[in-house]
Amino acid sequence: MSAYASVTSITFGILSPDLIRKMSVAEIISPDTYDEDGLPIPTSVMDPRLGTLEPGQRCKTCGNTYLSCPGHFGHIELPTPVIHVGFAKTVYELLKSTCRSCGRILLSEDLIKQYSEEIRELKEAGKPYRYLIYRIKQRAMNEQICPHCGEKQLKIELEKPATIVEMAESGPARLSAGTVRSRLERIPDSDLILLDINPATSRPEWMVLTVLPVPPVYVRPSITLESGFRSEDDLTHKLVDILRVAQRLRENMRSGSPSPVIAELSDLLHYHVTTYINNEAVGAAPAIHRSGRALKTLAQRLKGKEGRFRLNLSGKRVDFSARTVISPDPSLGINEVGVPLDVAMQLTVAEHVTAWNIEKLRELVRNGPDKYPGAKYIVRPDGKRVRLKFVSNLDELASMLEPGYVVERHLQSGDIILFNRQPSLHRMSIMAHLVRVLPYKTFRLNPAVCTPYNADFDGDEMNLHVPQSEEALTEARELLMVEKNIISPRYGAPIIGVIRDFLSALYLLTKDDTYLDKNELAVLLGAIKYRGAVPPPAVEKPKPMWTGKQVFSLLLPKDFNHSFRSSFDNKPVVIRNGQLLEGVIDKAAVGIERANSILHRIVRDYGPQKARELLDKIVRLAITFIDMRGMTFSLEDLYVPDEAYQEIQQIFRRADAEYLKIRERHEKGEVEIPPGMTPEQAFENDMLRLLSEVRDSAGKAVREYISKDNTAYIMAKVGARGTMLNIDQMVAVVGQQSVRRERISRGFNRRVLTFFKRDDNSPRARGFVYNSFISGLDPIEFFFHMVGGRDGLVDTAVRTQQSGYMQRRLINALESLYIDYDGTVRTADEGKIIQFKYGEDGVDPAKSDHGKVITPSTLITAVLASTPQGTPASKDYVSSKLGEKADILPPSIIGELEKALLEAKASKEAVDRVVEEAVEIYISSRAEPGDAVGVITAQSIGEPGTQLTLRTFHFAGVGEQSVLKGLPRLIEIVDARRTPSTPIMRIPLTPEYAQNPVKARRLAKQIQFTKLGDVRTEVTVNYKRNRLEFKLDEQVLSERGITKKDIETAFKSYEAVYDPEKAVLSVKLTDEMFANLGKVRERLEETRLKGVRKIRRATVFKEGDEYVIRTEGSNLREILEFPGVDWRRVETNDIYEIAEVLGIEAARNAIVSESKEVLKDQGLDVDIRHLLLLADMMTVSGTVRQIGRHGVVKLKSSVLARAAYEISVQTLMEAAARGEVDSLKGNVERILIGREIAVGTGMVTLLMSHGKLAGGADGHKAEP
Amino acid sequence: MGKKASAPAFDILEHSLVPKHELLSESEAEELLKRLNITKQQLPYILVSDPVVKRLGAKVGDIIRITRHSETAGTAVYYRVVWRET
Repeated sequence: MSAYASVTSITFGILSPDLIRKMSVAEIISPDTYDEDGLPIPTSVMDPRLGTLEPGQRCKTCGNTYLSCPGHFGHIELPTPVIHVGFAKTVYELLKSTCRSCGRILLSEDLIKQYSEEIRELKEAGKPYRYLIYRIKQRAMNEQICPHCGEKQLKIELEKPATIVEMAESGPARLSAGTVRSRLERIPDSDLILLDINPATSRPEWMVLTVLPVPPVYVRPSITLESGFRSEDDLTHKLVDILRVAQRLRENMRSGSPSPVIAELSDLLHYHVTTYINNEAVGAAPAIHRSGRALKTLAQRLKGKEGRFRLNLSGKRVDFSARTVISPDPSLGINEVGVPLDVAMQLTVAEHVTAWNIEKLRELVRNGPDKYPGAKYIVRPDGKRVRLKFVSNLDELASMLEPGYVVERHLQSGDIILFNRQPSLHRMSIMAHLVRVLPYKTFRLNPAVCTPYNADFDGDEMNLHVPQSEEALTEARELLMVEKNIISPRYGAPIIGVIRDFLSALYLLTKDDTYLDKNELAVLLGAIKYRGAVPPPAVEKPKPMWTGKQVFSLLLPKDFNHSFRSSFDNKPVVIRNGQLLEGVIDKAAVGIERANSILHRIVRDYGPQKARELLDKIVRLAITFIDMRGMTFSLEDLYVPDEAYQEIQQIFRRADAEYLKIRERHEKGEVEIPPGMTPEQAFENDMLRLLSEVRDSAGKAVREYISKDNTAYIMAKVGARGTMLNIDQMVAVVGQQSVRRERISRGFNRRVLTFFKRDDNSPRARGFVYNSFISGLDPIEFFFHMVGGRDGLVDTAVRTQQSGYMQRRLINALESLYIDYDGTVRTADEGKIIQFKYGEDGVDPAKSDHGKVITPSTLITAVLASTPQGTPASKDYVSSKLGEKADILPPSIIGELEKALLEAKASKEAVDRVVEEAVEIYISSRAEPGDAVGVITAQSIGEPGTQLTLRTFHFAGVGEQSVLKGLPRLIEIVDARRTPSTPIMRIPLTPEYAQNPVKARRLAKQIQFTKLGDVRTEVTVNYKRNRLEFKLDEQVLSERGITKKDIETAFKSYEAVYDPEKAVLSVKLTDEMFANLGKVRERLEETRLKGVRKIRRATVFKEGDEYVIRTEGSNLREILEFPGVDWRRVETNDIYEIAEVLGIEAARNAIVSESKEVLKDQGLDVDIRHLLLLADMMTVSGTVRQIGRHGVVKLKSSVLARAAYEISVQTLMEAAARGEVDSLKGNVERILIGREIAVGTGMVTLLMSHGKLAGGADGHKAEP
Repeated sequence: MGKKASAPAFDILEHSLVPKHELLSESEAEELLKRLNITKQQLPYILVSDPVVKRLGAKVGDIIRITRHSETAGTAVYYRVVWRET
């Protein structure tokens, strides 16, 4: 039996010099590494006692070969102490807060007692005490005289990277590391606790190095170049540097050199040790390699994306995997994957030999590794592996097989594998498939699963992994199979469905005039392997013909009833008893992202297996049919009669005339410029509106000539590919090209191209393309088209980066959330409750219909159809029946059911059944204990991030408010920025104002903030009368409703006079004010005349039947107090402000509604439960926390989890000083150390009572 | 003009964004912790400085029951423990 133990926790601390010496196997002295023969010199950094890397050599310390020697540490005795860079700040703070003479903390005994008590209390309660420590430190650092020995303290400063300077009376003096060390030594253990340092693991003097550990060669292998030269690792170089300086320093000290020489050398030593630890330390020039490249030293090895944590610990390389190009194959099932034979012969599955499979496995062993269904290894019961490639007599080996052996056989058809395409943005990016071993070199998959993987076949590659253990296989089969992932947890509708040409094919098959003769029918029935009776033909004469609808109906379950509207023409599609009676099959029926489609109903009501079979057959039927019928799209489809073009020309002529009109009106200033816009913006706005109208009407003109049988039209309408806009662009007009949503305006001086006159702002000169793709773009248009295209590419590139980082942060913040057995959402590490019921109703969106669990009308109709009619149940009966289930069903379902039941006049019996079924449906729709809901939420919000638009300032209403939308706003919300970049408020009014536009406008003027600077036109200094005179703009004054009284009250504290006749405000200047005239003027101009601070603009809008005020800028507290405002309904998009004024719960609601708004605005479908969880996570701590390193992640108790995310090195240093213990409960930590995570299937643990076990039959004591 | 701004012109508890907050009695609090098998610090927090807490006059360690309006469940109950700022 090999002995092994599992890691239960990791304690961080600082190595003491004693320990470093104790664990060292060799003192390293010599700066030279190799002698003339090329052999490593003992006591050099390549000392053979540190372990060996060469095959064939044995380690001088442990006697193992390079494979099993773990490597051994050595040490360097430093001639002078050196402050460890990583702890420089800690050392500095320690020195500042302790006495320079007696070493005690600079706090009186009473305070020490009081603080110790407080810390002890907090620690015992497990509460965070960082803030208290911060207060203690501040207090101690500001103490001037030691309360213990009365010594006066001197000011101390830290000079980066790691030098301490003391401000003595005689001037600044550098403290030598030795002095620092001896001061630190004096600090008593009991005082350290107050400074958040654990003396047991980390005595402060250990932060000043006297001995440096030398890592084993294993850690810093040298590589031999082709030329035969050795190239040493960066760490080795740095260690040699240290040794060289140490040697010189020692010699100089021994020979009694003058102290400046010694000081210089010890500074050099300091520098080398510093860069050895962290080559990016502030204040130290990075050490460079001969080539000029900065050395990668200890800190750099851990840090960042390429560092140990993220490269090797959070993600690891694996065996049993394959990668190759993918290609489509509709003849495969959606849960299958075609695996090339070559791949299948490389990958293996470990199969245990049993009495039942022994013959089969013997055959495989006989085939050996080179003949296809073979095997590569066998593992004997004693654990010995035999590689079949080296076995000459396979037959003999095969006959030796017996139960207990394990055969590692080739991958075979029917095996379960995991299939993955990067970027893995959501859980459907990895799904389990069944293997189909096929010829050729690509992985093949059914096009229906392209959507979840986001794959196409333009050269995409995918990865395949073979699960090895029974547990992994089971998990793959039960949870990861394609059919179990048809419904996306993001929006509760299918994400796997029919796409592209298959949709076109189904439309063509099921449209009303498709008839098939006997031969065609036979081919189609063959394709779907139909075994039943052939349905009677729809037409008998002249020859028997069947409709496409009939064929499609064969695929549906016989008891299937459903109706919905098609995507093609929005007409009803009706299915009764499994017969498609009316309507066509298209995206709305079997496509993706459509809730309540045929596909969705089948998955929900008949289960994933049936749905999979259905999809398999639909795809096969579609491909067979379209192969048979054919479908082409050619230029001819895009030709329309000349009349259409004449019409378009007409439209263009009208547009040009309109452009001239608009220009003239703007030039003459006849246009009312909307507030908040420059005249140029207003003009551009009008132009954009005009030009988009032009394209729309040109498109409309052309559409009349496009036949309903046009393939482009069919594809667009059916949801297969393209939109009507694409057709318009091909046939009618390409339209306006834009950069950042504006007309193209940059290029040459005041014109885009020299082809145009300067300042020409006609449509053509600003990127309007009059031609269609068919008529062809002229060179100018082509150029504009390219510019617009480039803008699009740049946008996409930037967006993927931004949304990728947002997703990483979301995942990191939410990953450890799971549903516990009691239905609460908790964190895996601390068991903190985030939600008391997942999504507030406990329902898994992937088991819902677009977020809804029960549609009462459908349920009741179904029940009524199968129950005999009776007298309607009374209201009381219904209520009490539902009331019985109040502790199970959420209130909303109860309310809806009650209403629907009464409306349907259901009998008692029907009521009973409905309630019973509702409960059953609800229970089966709940999210299961263990579900990693946090990750699902992070993925559901992060994955659509790439689809969000970037850089959008959306104009709400009629060119009024510009509000940040799209990805930037979403990032702003999860970042919990203190103020949004576009703060806005919506202020409903009390009835008195809400119904009266005049009064409402007056109120808006009251609210809008106006300062003196906004209304003054000139400022003059009247030296004669010692006055500063502001000439005010009367027009603006009256516009904003500012009266003489307003101005006078505003300047009450000054000696000021306002003359309304001349509109001049004059302020008396004192001598003092004269001296700072500039500042005084600024201050006066900042003076508030009227309105609420921070409200830059307030405008009245009519919404529904009331007038409301919308503002730019937000000031919730003051607006709430403003008379005439209906404060109960005031809204703002500043979440921090809400938290401050209305509390954390209101802020949570605001986070939900704001994020919902962004996603809705962008047309993205994300279940509300995800947003709820996000908001609850951001607000658990009582304040709004950012999703990122300063917020949610910082709150994590685990050192490793924080280090693995960002700022690794600093986190680890702090942890070492504080002597933190990581209990390895969270997901990140467990992945780092390679253990199963505690959520999902890993949540299940075995609990047993040790007490009961102790007296067991065989007398064995249970291990603790 | 409307009403003159007298002392507090508004009550945050009545604002549409603020759900119903109630203080739990000691026995209710104990029952809750027992039912969930947790200690107080595992509950979500609400700071003593939170305007609603101040308005209710709750102390550190009190548990507040929040009855939220819920889009999914109609109404949903949430709990927060009053916490001192850290």
